[in-house]
Amino acid sequence: MENMEGMVGIGLRRDISDEIIESSVLTPDFLEFAPENWMGIGGYWNRITKRAVEKFPVTCHGLSLSLGSPEDLDWDFIKELKVFLDENQVKIFSEHLSYTKSRNAHLYDLLPIPFRQDAVDHVVDRIRQVQDFLERPLAIENVSYYTPVAAEMSEIDFVTEIVERANCKLLLDVNNVYVNAFNHKYDAREYIGKLPLDRVAYIHMAGHEQVEPDLIIDTHGQPIIDPVYELFEWTIQQMKPVPVLLERDYNFEELDQIQSELMNLKGLIKKHWKVSYATS
Amino acid sequence: MQLREETERIQNLLGDYCRTGEEQPIPGVTPGRVKHYRRLVYNVVRGNMDTAYPITLAALGEERWEELVQEFFANGLPQTPQIWKLPYEFYQYHAGHETGTRIGKPYLEDLLYFEWIEIEIHTMPDRPYPQFTSDGNIFVDRLAINPDYEIIRMDYPVHLHRADDAIPLKGDYFVLVFRAPETGHVHFLNLSAVNTYIFSRLVEEGLPLNDIKGDIARAAGVESGKYLDDALSTFIGDLIKKKLILGFLKE
Repeated sequence: MENMEGMVGIGLRRDISDEIIESSVLTPDFLEFAPENWMGIGGYWNRITKRAVEKFPVTCHGLSLSLGSPEDLDWDFIKELKVFLDENQVKIFSEHLSYTKSRNAHLYDLLPIPFRQDAVDHVVDRIRQVQDFLERPLAIENVSYYTPVAAEMSEIDFVTEIVERANCKLLLDVNNVYVNAFNHKYDAREYIGKLPLDRVAYIHMAGHEQVEPDLIIDTHGQPIIDPVYELFEWTIQQMKPVPVLLERDYNFEELDQIQSELMNLKGLIKKHWKVSYATS
Repeated sequence: MQLREETERIQNLLGDYCRTGEEQPIPGVTPGRVKHYRRLVYNVVRGNMDTAYPITLAALGEERWEELVQEFFANGLPQTPQIWKLPYEFYQYHAGHETGTRIGKPYLEDLLYFEWIEIEIHTMPDRPYPQFTSDGNIFVDRLAINPDYEIIRMDYPVHLHRADDAIPLKGDYFVLVFRAPETGHVHFLNLSAVNTYIFSRLVEEGLPLNDIKGDIARAAGVESGKYLDDALSTFIGDLIKKKLILGFLKE
């Protein structure tokens, strides 16, 4: 596998695919696909997929596995997913520690799993099943959440026990830690310090939006704010080099600003990590 | 499954609220925060439908459209894990529930499918292309058809008129929808019943035009002669220009 440690990537979105693949307006080191948006398609977007894979190392970040759902895993979907991951030489596959399906209906957003022991057991079992079938480790993302739901244990105990027992990787979303620490009034550094950082496969960074005096929503539509950069800089000093991804889902008008975010992340990485490839 | 019934019930309570918007007590949540989940979930679905169906939205108006999206999301139990396919389930739901008749917009099913088919043709998996050459005779040689197409039949000519203006024009309308090979763009071609018959025969039987010319003459009610040859030359020439016919099959 190509060494991606310390690389800085960006999520491939249809709105900016030309700018990423055909120009040098944005200079990521790798791309992240949401596989649901790219698998099983032909025509123009299939050509874009192929060109992206030719030009960049690729990771995938799933949206619909719904690891925390009460209902059965969707094995037809997982089989298609495996084909896509294999065909496109995907280096890392990640999913959210959340549920997106209830009563056999997809919801298309990330709902918080109750922090409970039975939910831990349930999710651990499902992660193992998926990893076994996909024949690759799964990296599980700590999601942002706006309210706990019938919690019987702490968030950090919930996340840590799942990652350890499932023997999976962790996708550490630093912005989500910041958002959750703000929303639920805990110390972000203390939280990160308790995570199994040796299991981090890569890091997500993003912007967010404060919608109420005491509530931040994880939107992926705004620039990263300074306190999140500061948390990122502190975090990377606690762990070994991994790939870092900038998430941006909309507001693509200011591409220069997005490029400067990529460069900011590269600057911080160069400052603290010895990386074995040449960042641009 | 390792989940306790209580945990499953709580998860479903939150899911139900996000789908229906009907408030109900959910244990152990922070007051005032759950509404954001309903807003975020619904906005994703509504945005997806608005993007897929701009003509239908404009034809029905904001209020009626909102009702249709709400009804579908509350009752339709979306099955696809790929949200770009969700508009098809929206079409299926409202066609299956005869919503168009219920709301006095009988063209609804046609218009939704007309808009959906553009997404489907644009994104559908690549089909194998035939081996072809550009040298040949349209009457004698077998034609190589671009495989990325579909013919749709509609009761209302929503592709030719504003939706409400199409209501009194109920009939049989055919549209050939295809993907251009180089660009991947989707094109629409209004077809007469006779041209639909000709194209279908060419595709289904893969015969040279000369072999089916007699049938075409009978179907069109015309003599088999220069008039028909000229009409066929024009029709096939147009399809070649539009790259719906790629050329001539290599024998």
